[in-house]
Amino acid sequence: MHHANHFYGHAHVLARYAGLGDGHPPRINGYVQHGWNIGDGLAPGHPYAEGTPSLLWSEQTRRRAWSVGRRNVTVIGAPFGYLLAMRPEPQSPPQRAGTIWYPFHGWEGQHVEGDHDRLIAQIRDTEPGPVTVCLYWHEHRMRRVRRRYENAGFRVICHGYRGHWWSGTDPDFLDRQLTELRRHARVASNRLTSAVFYGIAAGCEPAVYGNPMVLADEDPTFGGTARIRRQWPELHGEQVHLPTAVEIARAELGVDHRYPPAALRELLGWTAAVHKEEA
Amino acid sequence: MTTETAVTLPGGEMLTWSDQRADAGNRPLAALVARLVPPGADVLLAGPVDPAVLDALGGARVTALLRGYPDAAALAGRVDRVVAAGATCLPADEAYDVVIAAAGLDTVESVEGPRLGWDGVLARLAAAVRPGGVLLLRLDNPLGVHRLVASCGWYVGRDDAEWTLGGVLDQSRPANLDQLRLRLDAVGLRVAGSYAGYPRPESTTALLATDELARRTTSGLFEAVLQESCTHGYTGRFVLADPARLAVDALFAGRAGDLAPSWLAVAHRPPAFGPEPAMSAAGLPTATPTADDGRLPVLLWGGGSDTRIVEVVDGPHGWHWHRPGPVAAAATPAPYASREIAHLDPAAPDGPVPDGRLLHNLLLDGCLRRDTALLRRLLRGYADWLTHQAAADPLTGAVALAGVDNLVVAGDRFAVLDPSWRVDDPLPVDVVLARALWRFATELLTGGYAHPWTSTLDAIGLTVVLGGVAGRDFDRAVVDAALDVEAALDVDAAVRRIREAEHRDSRGADRRGGPEAGLRTVTSTDLPPGRHSYQQLRDAWLRQRDENTRLAAALSWTEDLLASREKALRRAEAKLDLLSGTVSYQLARLAVTPARIARRGARAVKRRARAAITRKDGNRE
Repeated sequence: MHHANHFYGHAHVLARYAGLGDGHPPRINGYVQHGWNIGDGLAPGHPYAEGTPSLLWSEQTRRRAWSVGRRNVTVIGAPFGYLLAMRPEPQSPPQRAGTIWYPFHGWEGQHVEGDHDRLIAQIRDTEPGPVTVCLYWHEHRMRRVRRRYENAGFRVICHGYRGHWWSGTDPDFLDRQLTELRRHARVASNRLTSAVFYGIAAGCEPAVYGNPMVLADEDPTFGGTARIRRQWPELHGEQVHLPTAVEIARAELGVDHRYPPAALRELLGWTAAVHKEEA
Repeated sequence: MTTETAVTLPGGEMLTWSDQRADAGNRPLAALVARLVPPGADVLLAGPVDPAVLDALGGARVTALLRGYPDAAALAGRVDRVVAAGATCLPADEAYDVVIAAAGLDTVESVEGPRLGWDGVLARLAAAVRPGGVLLLRLDNPLGVHRLVASCGWYVGRDDAEWTLGGVLDQSRPANLDQLRLRLDAVGLRVAGSYAGYPRPESTTALLATDELARRTTSGLFEAVLQESCTHGYTGRFVLADPARLAVDALFAGRAGDLAPSWLAVAHRPPAFGPEPAMSAAGLPTATPTADDGRLPVLLWGGGSDTRIVEVVDGPHGWHWHRPGPVAAAATPAPYASREIAHLDPAAPDGPVPDGRLLHNLLLDGCLRRDTALLRRLLRGYADWLTHQAAADPLTGAVALAGVDNLVVAGDRFAVLDPSWRVDDPLPVDVVLARALWRFATELLTGGYAHPWTSTLDAIGLTVVLGGVAGRDFDRAVVDAALDVEAALDVDAAVRRIREAEHRDSRGADRRGGPEAGLRTVTSTDLPPGRHSYQQLRDAWLRQRDENTRLAAALSWTEDLLASREKALRRAEAKLDLLSGTVSYQLARLAVTPARIARRGARAVKRRARAAITRKDGNRE
């Protein structure tokens, strides 16, 4: 299995949904898109074996991937969508309060460069209620960055370690994220990212504002933040038209493309795993 | 004139020639003849005739004009008169109510005697149609589907029957329906109707009214008829491309009439002194008055899942089925004939033909355009409709048997197109759905159609995925049950061919297990069952090549990954070795050694005690 399939516990969520339990997920016959992106659904620079299925989130990404030469691409929807199917919102959900704010994060190979203090000031000026800042594990471990947000009076959390090279994946990453999102009335970030779409799908009002910051050596192949702002202007701003946002999030997360467990097992190449288990 | 036995020999017969072909036939024409020819009518059969047509002539006075003496001799005694000769020897003073040239005009001309040419033969036959009479004439289409998919050029023909070759280069021969109308008009005949004959000129299983073909380009009925007749009509024949795809595409473009392998013109000579009382609304004589006022049927179909000819006639409430009863025994067993699980419903209703598009083509379209929203709507609608039909019980009847190639969709309404065949054994909804989806998945994969899913799915896997699109969470076990039903139904020769091919195949242990195993091993690199088309062969080869490329890339990637993980493992082992040589490790090891020895001793004591108890129990017994 490609190690990126393990990121954020995606393979674990899919295995649970597919009826394979909480154990280590079997090898996926393909690459699962591991985050919302404006390219072909695969992370730039990841090793890729020609013809191996790309299991993407949305139809728009599928078309784009095809147009840049990818084949064997199919849409299965985001793993977060499968989590929502397993954990529907309770009939009488607890009262939501405040905003969960996701500062744009880098990763192990690329650090974010930007002015956190200015961002904090803008968050304070904009958000009406209590603010929870969710940092990527990488920045959460950076005491200096974490303290800045804590000193601003924000609650600072981290959903967990996404994992790398098959180790350290937190299988409950998405579960934890969903739980947090459902506690908040708003979700916000300085860039349109997976977390914003997850928040919309989890019932939060979205907002995208503030300095989008810069990723060191950011790959401009697919147009970067400028293109994101051009293509999804409806989702940018301190206040966003909710029905429009819900519609876009539904499409980008491929919620309508979710498959029932048996069909998902076929698409992920897990039928043999089930038969072995039965034997 | 010399008479020998019952065959009239005016001169010009071909002594050793026969036009009878085992694979020829035109049962729909027989149904049309039964409808058009009244008892006691004088009929001239010019050229070879399907025995079914002969049977349909019933009480008519029949004269047969055959150029081959063996054919004439074989027919002697079965008709009123047999003339063995070419058209030149047709007595000039004879006239008939109905003249039938079911194999066209080429077969009416003998190699002996002067040549009349196509228009010369037409003039001769037209002259034999008395006022008020009818000519049924077949004309082969030089640009028909059969020519477009032929593996050899029409102009290279050197068979015995091709002592001359007719084609578009021949100015005396009409090359389309409009030209045919003009030629008939020139000899005093008026075209009352025309049919497109599919799937091959010499073997017609469907006659479709050309005007309706051009007008009703989205008719699910026409889609089903063209798909079925062209799929089965070319089974086992090597062609360039799939004729069914071409014919159905032509229908959608309003050109199915133009690309028909042959046409059948129904032309009449206007009465000399006003219309006769026995004439129909179409100006034709009718054998039996019918509710449709003698109008020509929209469709005559004899090659489907029915041993009988079925007709579709246009009535005050639209198209409806009409089943006139068998006009002849079927030449080949019907699809379900050998199985008791399905049977032909003798009381199949003469009800309305449901409107709508054929689900099969709607699904193909959704797959090609990757319109997954449309596919979801269609398949969920289909699954819900099946559930609704079943209520709380398993499904029986025509609904349980109908595949996506026998279902029409109009808006959100689903209906079985032809409910002639039924099953009595109750089948669960998911099994019925899985069987229909497996048949579609097989067509999709082996036909090489582009679709929204990965190439790694086999037909069963794709069936499960399609079930998921339909909102059903059934797994391979349900598809297995559906394939048991499929095997029991023995639905068509295509399935048998898959089995034969797979039975011969030795691609792996899981591919063995009896003839039915072939149904369970269809993959995207297989050929379409029963069809031998160059295009599809090449497409299958390309799919195999792509699959090999994918597997080679995956293997290379896996090798690289394995090398990298082995390297990581070596590093970890080296680290372990290094750590095991440290003082702290040795001290820790010394510390746990007594505990390890104690545990080992405890285990030995436990083993001995257990052995002693077992011995004691054994002695007691």
